[in-house]
Amino acid sequence: MRGYLDTLKVIALIALRNLFASRLKTLIVGGIILFGSLLVVVGTALVDSVDASMSRSVIGSVAGHIQVYSSKSKDELTVMGGMNMESPDLTPIDDFAALRRTLLGVPNVKAVVPMGLSSAIVTAGNTVDVVLERLRDLARRRLAGEDVQAAYESEKDHVRQIIKVLSADMDNVRKIQNEKAISQDDLAAAAKAASEELWAGFDRDPYPALEFLENRIAPLASDADMLFLRYLGTDGDAFAKSFDRMKIVDGTAIPRGQRGFLFSKWVYEQQVKLKTALRLDRINDGISKRSKTIARSEELQRWIKQNVTEVKEIMLQLDGQKTASFRRLLQGELGSQQSDVAKLLSEFFRVDDANFAHRYRFFYDKLAPQLELYRVRVGDMLTIKSFTRSGYVQSVKLRVYGTFVFEGLEDSHIAGELNLMDMVSFRELYGSLTPERAREVQEIKTMAGMKEVSREQAEAELFGKPDLGETAPIGRAGDEAEAVLRSLAGRQQREDRASQPYDPAQLEQGDVLNAAVIVKDPRRISRTIKDIEAAGAKAGIPLRAITWQKASGLVGQFVTMIRAVLYISVLIIFAVALVIINNALVMATLERMPEIGTLRAIGAQRRFLLGMLLVEALAVGVLFGSLGALLGAGIVGVIGAAGIPASNDILYFLFSGPRLHPSLSPANVIISLAIVLAVSAISSIYPGLLAMRVSPRQAMQSDD
Amino acid sequence: MPRSRFLTVLALVLSLLAPRMAAALGKAELVDLLKSVDERQRNQGDWRDLVYIEQKEKDKVDVAYEALVFRRSQDQKFIILFTKPKASQGQGYLRIDKNLWFYDPSVGKWERRTERERIGGTNSRRSDFDESRLAEEYEPEDLGQEKLGAYTAQVVKLTGKPEIDLAFPVIKLWVDKETKNVLKRQEFALSGRLLRTSYYPRWKKVYSESKKTDVWYPEEMRFYDEVEKANSTLILVKSVDMRPLEPNLFTKAWLESKSR
Repeated sequence: MRGYLDTLKVIALIALRNLFASRLKTLIVGGIILFGSLLVVVGTALVDSVDASMSRSVIGSVAGHIQVYSSKSKDELTVMGGMNMESPDLTPIDDFAALRRTLLGVPNVKAVVPMGLSSAIVTAGNTVDVVLERLRDLARRRLAGEDVQAAYESEKDHVRQIIKVLSADMDNVRKIQNEKAISQDDLAAAAKAASEELWAGFDRDPYPALEFLENRIAPLASDADMLFLRYLGTDGDAFAKSFDRMKIVDGTAIPRGQRGFLFSKWVYEQQVKLKTALRLDRINDGISKRSKTIARSEELQRWIKQNVTEVKEIMLQLDGQKTASFRRLLQGELGSQQSDVAKLLSEFFRVDDANFAHRYRFFYDKLAPQLELYRVRVGDMLTIKSFTRSGYVQSVKLRVYGTFVFEGLEDSHIAGELNLMDMVSFRELYGSLTPERAREVQEIKTMAGMKEVSREQAEAELFGKPDLGETAPIGRAGDEAEAVLRSLAGRQQREDRASQPYDPAQLEQGDVLNAAVIVKDPRRISRTIKDIEAAGAKAGIPLRAITWQKASGLVGQFVTMIRAVLYISVLIIFAVALVIINNALVMATLERMPEIGTLRAIGAQRRFLLGMLLVEALAVGVLFGSLGALLGAGIVGVIGAAGIPASNDILYFLFSGPRLHPSLSPANVIISLAIVLAVSAISSIYPGLLAMRVSPRQAMQSDD
Repeated sequence: MPRSRFLTVLALVLSLLAPRMAAALGKAELVDLLKSVDERQRNQGDWRDLVYIEQKEKDKVDVAYEALVFRRSQDQKFIILFTKPKASQGQGYLRIDKNLWFYDPSVGKWERRTERERIGGTNSRRSDFDESRLAEEYEPEDLGQEKLGAYTAQVVKLTGKPEIDLAFPVIKLWVDKETKNVLKRQEFALSGRLLRTSYYPRWKKVYSESKKTDVWYPEEMRFYDEVEKANSTLILVKSVDMRPLEPNLFTKAWLESKSR
């Protein structure tokens, strides 16, 4: 034992002496090793941190650990971060209860959440449409004897105010452009709408006037807005239990057994909020969060310009009383005598760096409370119309219960574009083709006597024999229509169905498009995926199971990509290092041939020589590798304290928030050192072999 | 996108009273004829019928509807009220002036589309929903006669006038020599690419009470999409009823009252 230690001591001394003897060479080799190990430590720490933060957010928001869907589906599933707006085309899984049973039978599965992804365009109508719709409803209720007189009068007043705003607007356009800029028809319509005749009989019979206003006046306001809604149908309770990142911001969650809709806060702000207010928020964010100034930022100036010119959106919201109130408030704030509220508003929104903060507060404190800041408010009914998978239009009316965010992903549109809906309404809107529906289509075809005629045969079949000019028997579609119309009576279900609860058991019985699986042990995800697919095959439900990375789309796989790039760069660096160290050692060996020969002559074994070179290489590796790791740890520490800002949306998603604070794990350092030692050891093999081949005689001869 | 499919059906239903064409050789006569065709279409009177529509689309299940159509040519108003299948029952389209309203009784909601907006983000154009203005919008050209099965047809090529924005810059019509009804119609892009072929194989006559004369209508219409070959539409017209319509028919209140 003691002999070994002594040998080792001698080997180490010789190795160190050699390293010092060729300092420059040692430094070059060491520098490469230092850089490599630094890269490994910093790179793996960064990628691990992104991976960890993103996995927490993605797993905890929508995806779960594993997503499961039918393997018969045409498209691949992405629950968020899909690059196109269309939802993936998935084949529904008919029986969620059976799917859940099958999945819960897999050992590592903890919970299963039913899901479905789809999207719809909601045409909310313009401001005038919305107001007229309310007036129509109030007029109907008033005629039916309900006590809504005050609200009715106020809405009526609002409509008359709108007509004034639109007329003034048309006059302006005529002044700025030319007399012909507005058609005579539109001018006449506006004049008629403002006339006393139209309003004189309104209380008695409002419908003809309403039809006129809806068809001729509403189209004049061109602020019609379409909401593009991507929504996830799910079981609200199970969702809230399994996804801890979801937090309600306004209102409440959808109560159990109720139909309802939750807006993502991001969508609610970006799409539903009054555009003027949204632009003020953006200017505020630009100044306070991104240190921009109005004077220097063209973007902020553009928003201000839009606010100044687009005051009609606000004007249309004001009835007589509010107009007066706005006039008073704005005159006071601006110290102006101007009586035209539109001009006052334009002036108010013409902000600069000095007065922005004050006006921003004034807007929210004084003006906003009198405005409808959001086109759809929490508590309102939202009608969503969709084209079902069976090809037909289906609408549902849902109460908006509130808004929510996924914590850590608040400002990311990739996660923020997803709204939530109860699963029962989702199924209605999705409208899979049931055997019953297919039969109905077949019946219509049979009843009408529809015959297939192929494109190629069309002319021969259709024009083969003359069939023109016969006098048709006079049809009685009118009578048939009456009968059909009578049978339609009572179809209208209005709000009652939206507020009727459904039996929670219905959630279990119907179909789902996909399901999120939460596992007990996240380290065994790939094993569980195999188990799930096997269990599905056994139960007769053809399933495809994917990891959360895959389910979060291209962006989700970004981390895997970055990791691959990192590993490849590390591989290249160490391959280079290996060659250089190897060459350095070979050269050193050749230079020291006489010495090696002498050592051999005085009895050094071949193993001794190999050990000598190995220690030499390892010493460089350990020294510079440790230095590199230490430096890397320092860098990670500094970055960790300061944080890397997420400068764009994709980074925001990857970082799961505005900043990434990477942290170092022992694994990062251990991996780095292990790689360095392995490379050092490998690079000493060839020079070692060279040295071992040297015989004492050869070595001494070559000295000459 | 399924939305476009529904709107195509709608547009085709509206083309129900397709223009009747007469053959003529001179250009001036052709223009006059187109004018009279357009004029006649505008004055078709009150119209009520039952239509059956079948739509086939690539990678989708077939869709079939039964609908009641009410149309008054005098002010270009119409209602399409779907009666089958059950899922669409009571849904309707109402056109007043430049507004196209969609009504869904299951939610009691009206949705207005103006001509300015692209409908539902699709490529549906306003012209799909408009009356035929062939004489004003196209230059006719006589292409001679052609056999079409048992019929002899006069072929007319219509080229869109340059200043007008048209969905179909070039149209070819095959007009029956005897009855002057359109048997076949092809629509082309500016590049000359064929976009759609339609057939009107069965024309019937019916007595119009409001016009006090016989009116022709196509009992069967077949539309073949020439770009997406798997897409086609079939429309069958039944029970045409020419009795005058109630004056207050084309209102929201009327349609609402029928399904409330």
